[in-house]
Amino acid sequence: MSGPRVDAKVVLLGKEYVGKTSLVERYVHQRFLVGPYQNTIGAAFVAKVIAVGDRAVTLGIWDTAGSERYEAMSRIYYRGARAAIVCYDLTDGSSFERAKFWVNELQTFEENCRIYLCGTKSDLLEEDRRRRGVDFHDVQDYADEIKAELFETSSKTGQSVDELFQKVAEDYVRFTAFQLMTEEKGGIDLSQKSSPYFYSCCHH
Amino acid sequence: MEQISKDFSELSTQLTGMALDLEEEMRQSKEDKLDLSPQTCRRDSVLSGKEEEDVTMDAWRMHQKHVFVLSEAGKPVYSRYGSEEALSSTMGVMMALVSFLEAEKNAIRSIHADGYKVVFVRRSPLVLVAVARTQQSEQEIAHELLYIYYQILSLLTWTQLNHIFQQKQNYDLRRLLAGSERITDNLLDLMARDPSFLMGAVRCLPMAAGVRDAVSASLQQARAKSLVFSILLSRNQLVSLVRKKDQFLHPIDLHLLFNLISSSSSFREGEAWTPICLPKFNSSGFFHAHISYLEQETDLCLLLVSTDREDFFTVSDCKRRFQERLRKRGVYHALQEALRTPFYSISQVGIPDLRHFIYKSKSSGLFTSPEIEAPYVSEEEKERLLGLYQYLHSRAHNSSHPLKNIYFTGPNENLLAWVTSAFELYVCYSPLGTKAGAISTVNKLMKWIRKEEDRLFILTPQTY
Ligand SMILES: Nc1nc2c(ncn2[C@@H]2O[C@H](COP(=O)(O)OP(=O)(O)OP(=O)(O)O)[C@@H](O)[C@H]2O)c(=O)[nH]1
Ligand SMILES: [Mg+2]
Repeated sequence: MSGPRVDAKVVLLGKEYVGKTSLVERYVHQRFLVGPYQNTIGAAFVAKVIAVGDRAVTLGIWDTAGSERYEAMSRIYYRGARAAIVCYDLTDGSSFERAKFWVNELQTFEENCRIYLCGTKSDLLEEDRRRRGVDFHDVQDYADEIKAELFETSSKTGQSVDELFQKVAEDYVRFTAFQLMTEEKGGIDLSQKSSPYFYSCCHH
Repeated sequence: MEQISKDFSELSTQLTGMALDLEEEMRQSKEDKLDLSPQTCRRDSVLSGKEEEDVTMDAWRMHQKHVFVLSEAGKPVYSRYGSEEALSSTMGVMMALVSFLEAEKNAIRSIHADGYKVVFVRRSPLVLVAVARTQQSEQEIAHELLYIYYQILSLLTWTQLNHIFQQKQNYDLRRLLAGSERITDNLLDLMARDPSFLMGAVRCLPMAAGVRDAVSASLQQARAKSLVFSILLSRNQLVSLVRKKDQFLHPIDLHLLFNLISSSSSFREGEAWTPICLPKFNSSGFFHAHISYLEQETDLCLLLVSTDREDFFTVSDCKRRFQERLRKRGVYHALQEALRTPFYSISQVGIPDLRHFIYKSKSSGLFTSPEIEAPYVSEEEKERLLGLYQYLHSRAHNSSHPLKNIYFTGPNENLLAWVTSAFELYVCYSPLGTKAGAISTVNKLMKWIRKEEDRLFILTPQTY
């Protein structure tokens, strides 16, 4: 398949309404749209270049729909992903249960995908602590157990959003460099790009 | 007239390859009418149950058309106004009615009571119900319900829908349809004001034939193996369509695609890649649609329908190639110009008493219509005009007495309908004219359409 110049495939997963699209909107366009909630249909793809040190890494971001309707199809969106941002709404306990479902799914089918747990809408907690519906320490324990990074973000204020994607990109570079060293020239075609780290997520 | 009608049978070519006419489909399902007197079927017994609990009941009842979808087990699936929960007892009454009317599958039945028409369409495993105060015939209301049914199929496929209910009769389908209510709401709103659905045809964006040909050629060149249809549209108007050889897109499927795009702003960012079933084309499986806006201001949107869900990047590349071709051919500017003038004025036709018309070319599944102008300015007046067309249409297509020519005189306007095997024409005149005058100007109108046809229609459809 003729892929675009994407280095790392990143997929966002999570229950509907948790704020995946808002997260991408904040990260890619530095804005937060108010107005009626527009659920994603299928999935939306957007590429974004991010600097890691003196390198430019292109993230191919897949913002998936949370609706159960697409669950059976979800593999096409996360297959080959190097990173998965699994979102849950900090004010909605049930969304964390759904996040666990996605983690299981990824652990079963995508061993090489790094997982980033992302608690969204932290601004709502700033307003009112009692709205927290997911205990921080529970999530922390769970994140340790599955070896995932944990972030609490707000797409409204922008809190920790850039940090999250920065971490994803940095881990990608570090992990890929490591992988290239250990794999040596194991079947990765570097001829398309001068960067020694180039790795197309969509090579299959 | 004979001669003109012959001429027009040659107009336009196979674009969408108009498969079954909706009317035909309606005729296939046996129609049953049940006239219950107001005493035995009071409005309240159909609609109420929640009166004490719902203070907005009066407002709720004022709506022109309620639409409900239920499963055959009586579980609510969709309600146009108000939550399905709040209306569960209403749904219960409907279910009781449905089983009371218990009939063979796929039947259409209706009840007339107290100024309302209650129309039932059964498409196993779903039952669709409309409670309408509009002037539409049962057939037309049922026609709209069928669209809602197809809308649901486009999200789930017929196969999946049936499979689910075979597994579990009382499955709550709302789980799978969550988030799609807006699409269905939009479809119902669109059907109330856009004649495309009534006509069972698609409106083209008027543009110079040379420009359209260049756009279509660019689209045709940006092909990929897995592509079945490439569709360029703007605000529910078709700009260009390229299809695989021998594959035809039914107007209903195209309407569903148009509706999907117009109902959601979520396609405006990035590139969407979504499973979609085209129920008239193939109700058993999903295609994958690549949806992206090429221009935000003019809502120019590209829709690429692929058979391969793994083919995103190839299809995405088709988009890039299409845009590149457009620029190379130097037609981008002309295309933008056309997009900025999506409607033409009736005054261009040059017939004084003429106010508006709809002309549908049957072979192509396309229609053309000028902008609706004064005195039909308010939304209400526009809907009233559409209502008149609806009335003429239902008269012309009445299954027991179909009519080829209708002249209708009303207090505010006169209307004419002319239906042949090649085309359908609905014309609106000022109330001052005469029947003879109307008939004589129809010839002039037809000549004008003929002269403009390469701008108003897509005459040279492309295949890959
Ligand atoms: N206060 C606040 N609201 C947010 C935040 N992020 C998202 N929302 C709101 O939550 C709702 C859902 O956001 P989306 O980003 O559309 O959710 P989604 O996860 O993409 O939903 P699906 O596409 O259906 O899966 C919207 O009304 C957003 O405005 C946030 O950080 N703070
Ligand atoms: Mg979303």
